[in-house]
Amino acid sequence: MVADLTIDRPTVLERNSDYWVGRFESMASPCEVLMRVDDELLAKKLLHAATTEAWRIEQKYSRYREDNIVFQINSAGGEAVQVDPETAQILDFAFQCHELSGGLFDISSGILGRAWRFNSTSTRPSNDLIESLLPLIGLGKAEWLSSSLMLTLPAQMQIDLGGIGKEYAVDRTLSLLSKLSQAPVLVNFGGDIVCSNNPDSDSPWRIGIEDPESPNDAQQLLELSSGALATSGNTQRYLIANGRRYGHVLNPSTGWPIEAAPLSITVAEENCTRAGMLATFAMLQGENAEHFLDQQGVKYWVVR
Amino acid sequence: MQLKQPNGKITNLLAAAACSLLNQTSTAQEVPGWYLDSAVLGYSEKDRVDAVEPVISATRIFEDGRKLNLTFVADSLTGASPNGATISDSPQTFTRPSGRGTYVTDAGDLPLDDTFKDSRTALSVQYEFPLNRLTRLSTGLAYSDEYDYTSIGFNATLARDFNLKNTTVSLGIAYAIDSIEPEGGLPVPLASTSLPWDQQRQGSDDDKTVLDFLVGVTQIINRQTLMQLNYSYSQSDGYLTDPFKILSLTDGITGETSGYVYDSRPDTREKHSVYWKTKYSRNNGDIVDVSYRYLWDDWDIASHTIDARYRLNLSEKFYVEPHVRYYNQEAAGFFAHSLVSGQALPVNASADYRLGAFNGITIGSKFGYRLNDRSEINFRVETYEQQGDTVGNPIGIQNNYELFPDLEATIIQVGYSYRF
Repeated sequence: MVADLTIDRPTVLERNSDYWVGRFESMASPCEVLMRVDDELLAKKLLHAATTEAWRIEQKYSRYREDNIVFQINSAGGEAVQVDPETAQILDFAFQCHELSGGLFDISSGILGRAWRFNSTSTRPSNDLIESLLPLIGLGKAEWLSSSLMLTLPAQMQIDLGGIGKEYAVDRTLSLLSKLSQAPVLVNFGGDIVCSNNPDSDSPWRIGIEDPESPNDAQQLLELSSGALATSGNTQRYLIANGRRYGHVLNPSTGWPIEAAPLSITVAEENCTRAGMLATFAMLQGENAEHFLDQQGVKYWVVR
Repeated sequence: MQLKQPNGKITNLLAAAACSLLNQTSTAQEVPGWYLDSAVLGYSEKDRVDAVEPVISATRIFEDGRKLNLTFVADSLTGASPNGATISDSPQTFTRPSGRGTYVTDAGDLPLDDTFKDSRTALSVQYEFPLNRLTRLSTGLAYSDEYDYTSIGFNATLARDFNLKNTTVSLGIAYAIDSIEPEGGLPVPLASTSLPWDQQRQGSDDDKTVLDFLVGVTQIINRQTLMQLNYSYSQSDGYLTDPFKILSLTDGITGETSGYVYDSRPDTREKHSVYWKTKYSRNNGDIVDVSYRYLWDDWDIASHTIDARYRLNLSEKFYVEPHVRYYNQEAAGFFAHSLVSGQALPVNASADYRLGAFNGITIGSKFGYRLNDRSEINFRVETYEQQGDTVGNPIGIQNNYELFPDLEATIIQVGYSYRF
């Protein structure tokens, strides 16, 4: 029996200067919701809505559970799986992103995690191991019939929606909270952030962007009054072998880390899903990350 | 292996993809199940035709994306319709199109055939199914039957999505065979109505075929805007004349009516039309819908249609949708209010006001109320005003009358939708 992630998990609600902040944990990240309301009851209600949605999405799309649609897909053994409409929309998006990135963004590449472990004790995997995994990667090998909601993966192939799920949860949560209250709110799940549109507000939200070299200090303070920020890259995850540093962003076609990828990329966009995907795409461009982002005409911060 | 690198600016495509991910209401319409739509439409022309038209449509959306629709329409028309003759200074007597009996129009009145009465039933079946992830084929059969008219048609449309489903290209073809068998037989085109009955009639029935082609592109412009552009070509062959319409023969100086001849139209017609439509959803959920159609044919008819509607959501349950439509038509080359007696007859001639020059304005509103998650009732009320233009120069007494009298009509519709 797997624990139900949607109930009985700790939440904290605190009063700050002119807003309430609710904290909880979801998707292996610290999450917070900032709400510019006076009424504690309303703050409680909003926080409850946020945790319910975050935990629902975590439970539904976590690849570490055996009671959800991702497990069903990954253990189908080559059979077609019918998915629900919400999952279908996420898959549509994943396939579109795969196409848009020229194949570099691939939800089936998570299997490379069997070869690459990025921590201080890891070593570089063997070429043979990587070569043996490559046949199991590539969304082009999957058959997705969005009109009939049927996904067929070749046996052994797996998908991981982690690259979409958190940003999706952030946007969904904001949209839910906006239906419950007109008050300005900010949703921050592990650094993926969106806030309700209040461009006229004279008190924008202040956000710190983490410095990868000293993660505990806020490197840069941003003011956000509308839109979203998302960050790709995790400075803790790399390995050094033979004097070479290997970042954790992998190229699904080679199985090897993208060369000259920045340490982290933060993008500002209208919603978190777009910001997160642009940051990921840029990361996959390696040394051309900045050039790619310039082409997109978005605001961004790159740490190399 | 070198993968294709994303080229250039992709933000718009990504924005559209993210929009469809986050806008989950977009799938609400496609939930598998049965959908039932029913409506009764009432159409009433002032002093002329009244029509009542009930419609029932059932749609089944299958789990695998297939769609089946069955529609049943029944309408009944009663009242009086202009027979084509012009207003005269003296009473006019007409033989009924069936040849049985006569009716009289008073001096100064527009001649109306008051035996205009018909009922029609129509049944259509449409079936859409995916061929693959990006391509859909929709095919349909339609059948309609009236007392003296039968139509059977077939259509097929292939739609393919491109550009991450932001662009849809459609190719369509339709073919219909209509046959007509009026009571009393078919009149000889341009024959005088005063000829002996057997000399003014030729055959009992005839038919026509209509072949249509359509090419369309639907493009998602951004998260709020959708644009559609269609071109269609239609070719009709066969009996295109209206056997119930006549033209007055008038004196070239006084304009007094001296007789009547039957309507005569070419036996082919080629129509082209371009159609442009834009739909814009505002952030608050309101929808603006604007369209324009330009149609032209080889009968020299050309028409413009501008249609605009605005859906205003007054609450979660209640919406109001004002609607304005403007229509302008140039007359067919062979349209005439009357022919001059004693002159050589043209090859084709018709006084049917539907082939004349006119403007039509429809103004109204629809009101919808959602009863619950499954059902909605709606009510539509509209008025239609048609103003005709005189084609050519009126002769003599014709100057005293409106050769193309105005028409006013009221349209009322009550509808109910239910999802099983």
